[in-house]
Amino acid sequence: MFKRSYFKLCIPAVMAVMMTACASSPSTTSTSSTAPQDKSVTLLFNVQSPSIDPHTDINYTAVRAGVNETLIKVNKDLKLEAWLAEKWDSKDGRHWTFSIRPGVKFHSGKAVDAAAVKASLERALKLNPSVKNALHIRDIHAEGKTLSITTDKPFPEFVSELVHPNTAIMDTTATGDFPSGTGPFQVASFRAGSELNLERNEHYWNGEVKLKHAKFMFNEDANARQLAFQAKTADIVYRPPIESLELLKADSTVKIDSLPSLRTHQLIYNMNNHDLKKTAVRKAFDHLINRDEIASGIMSGQGTPAQGPFLPDFPFSPEYITKKFDLNAAREGFKEAGYTVQNGKITNPDGSPLHFTLLTYQSRAELPLISQLIQANAKELGITIDIRQVDNIDEYLAAHQDWDLATYSNITAPRGDASYFLNAAYMPEGALNYGRVHIPELERMITQLNTTVNEEQRNKLALKAVTLIDQENLQSFLVHPNNVVAYRNYVHNWVTSQSEYYLLTQDLDVN
Amino acid sequence: MFQSIAKKFLTFMLFFLILSFVSFCLLKLVPGDPVRSILRVDDVAVSNQQIADMRSQLGLDQPLPVQYGKWLVQLLQLDFGQSYLTHRPVLTEFIEKLPYTLLLTGGSLFIMLLIALPLGTLSALYRNHWIDSASRVFALIGSSIPSFWLGLLFIEWFAVKLRILPSMGDGTIFHLVLPSLTLGLAMAAVYVRMIRASLIESSGQDFIKAAQARGISPVRIFFRHMFRHSLVPLITVFSESIGSLLGGTVVIEVLFAYPGLGKWIVDAIAARDYPIIQGYTIFMAVFIICLNILVELSYRWVNPEIALKEKRLS
Repeated sequence: MFKRSYFKLCIPAVMAVMMTACASSPSTTSTSSTAPQDKSVTLLFNVQSPSIDPHTDINYTAVRAGVNETLIKVNKDLKLEAWLAEKWDSKDGRHWTFSIRPGVKFHSGKAVDAAAVKASLERALKLNPSVKNALHIRDIHAEGKTLSITTDKPFPEFVSELVHPNTAIMDTTATGDFPSGTGPFQVASFRAGSELNLERNEHYWNGEVKLKHAKFMFNEDANARQLAFQAKTADIVYRPPIESLELLKADSTVKIDSLPSLRTHQLIYNMNNHDLKKTAVRKAFDHLINRDEIASGIMSGQGTPAQGPFLPDFPFSPEYITKKFDLNAAREGFKEAGYTVQNGKITNPDGSPLHFTLLTYQSRAELPLISQLIQANAKELGITIDIRQVDNIDEYLAAHQDWDLATYSNITAPRGDASYFLNAAYMPEGALNYGRVHIPELERMITQLNTTVNEEQRNKLALKAVTLIDQENLQSFLVHPNNVVAYRNYVHNWVTSQSEYYLLTQDLDVN
Repeated sequence: MFQSIAKKFLTFMLFFLILSFVSFCLLKLVPGDPVRSILRVDDVAVSNQQIADMRSQLGLDQPLPVQYGKWLVQLLQLDFGQSYLTHRPVLTEFIEKLPYTLLLTGGSLFIMLLIALPLGTLSALYRNHWIDSASRVFALIGSSIPSFWLGLLFIEWFAVKLRILPSMGDGTIFHLVLPSLTLGLAMAAVYVRMIRASLIESSGQDFIKAAQARGISPVRIFFRHMFRHSLVPLITVFSESIGSLLGGTVVIEVLFAYPGLGKWIVDAIAARDYPIIQGYTIFMAVFIICLNILVELSYRWVNPEIALKEKRLS
């Protein structure tokens, strides 16, 4: 009797739990179109965005979601293309003139003229030190549709820097809660770190926008993204987990786009190391790298072996002799560099074994595995490699010199120009020159590139520099990881942008 | 009582000063440099000189006591500073994130109570019965399953297969169900055992036996005496759970793309966004202290003997 009464007390509570768990949700409807005039699409992206401000958002969501546009864009052939600026010109690489495209209006209804662009650029310079550093603007002058900009030094790559999404143009006088841009979509609502709801810009300057609504969602967990895609919460999913690709391929309603990104995984040599400062040693060491195994095995086919820092499509990428994994060639290379080969193992001339410390980090899961592969291959030649994992590779490399080799990864030509990587990675003052590379001839080339305006000449100079980097084997470039996107077959005109700057476009459609 | 609260307030101020100084120092001692994140070295060509200039501009090259002093003066004006990366006030960002975390905390605790109270109670009352065994098995399994895996299972069942709940995001009560269930279940497993033990301990007390002998109804004995007596240790642990939930449940927030405080602070730590980290530490310290004060006050309500003892001592 006593116990039965307690038992009865608990029944409603248990029922309540079950009812809560089984409650139906009104918000899990498929996002594919229901009527032609009301087409919508949902894209699930892999990085959270804390802000929608185009000038400060580190995730560039405003440009990716088609809300804001820049003066210049990089097209699918990785070439610069006019966007809000119709044309541009500079004779000396310091004084620039841009013609602002006529007939463009912000979402607020205000016309886009040079004064509006000036105000927007000035806001970006004020709020974002990164933009300020990137643009080197001394002053801006606006008159009608003509925008004149003077940089604080001859700066020929200025135009390509204007591709940076944080330079996107917005109406600085608009008073709404969301940025007023010029893109095919305008913001309906935004919840930081969760989702961005968009509506068609009915007055888009570049013609008809196919979708009425679009949703841009964020989830950093790859498995959760894939499940959301399977649950039809999203129509397009950015970077699903590689291990689920076979599962997705088996679904006839799913299309998968996979193409090399502008990112390059690389192996940095520390030039302060007695052995690695020798070109012959670096070249011999390069033969220990099995790029095909990295691309097909470690990266499950979602990577392309890299021969140099940039994708081969760029005009400043030379015709490389394909780099091969070859233990015998490595042995010969070390022998030619003055090392002793005994029983197939490499030793220093004094008979002591070769030993290196290799740094790697976890945030790109394939890099520790690549390190292990290199370690195993080096062991075949009697070379010992100690692998050390660090928390923040940038900070460690910048502050320490107790390493010989390091895996690293970055986007080498984010805006279609070679100068960013060349300056950052090979100039003595470059923030990415972790290996302490100091090749005066290369520095002269980069300095000359930095003052050359003509695009053809710039490409030639960059090509020469990249050829020298290859000859000297200053770094070993390992693989270009692929960008993988999965989408439903009713989604049309999806283009996987290699720059990753443009995701929702006016042409994107569903049937 | 007012004297006691005033004493606690003074202790709080002293604790706050020590905590802010220690956390400030520790933060600066941890290797890392926010300037590289601010200048986006992986995106924009930056020279080491520009990095040094920026560091100087932010005052990061100044001695630690100077940096702390400036921050404290700013804080006394209720200015928590701006995020290095988003350039938005830390307070604004915190206020934006807080409701989400409070909702998730509330939802998780609600689910936990719904499961743990009846199960723990039944387990105590039906000792060595199959109900007790079942609840112990639940407690064992629940505390062994990693919450991210449980979350993925729930997404698979409720969002992919049954399609009755959203798998991610926020905005409606339905978005709260899966993350709350994931967290609540994991916590419930711990509480079931605790409630059981606490009730068993209470049931053996003399005053319970006396009440039974007086013929008081079992329900009355349970709620007025036994349950109330068991609450003191439970409230203590409960407040700790609230603290840890408010502090952030990063894995769950990432999995369900839930924009709470946990993900916010982890991102800030990764980018060494000092104003956010320091602001967050202060907000959380205040929260936890207030929570502890509330818990202590609740002891007096639950067990008036505590208040009487204090009175006698003073």
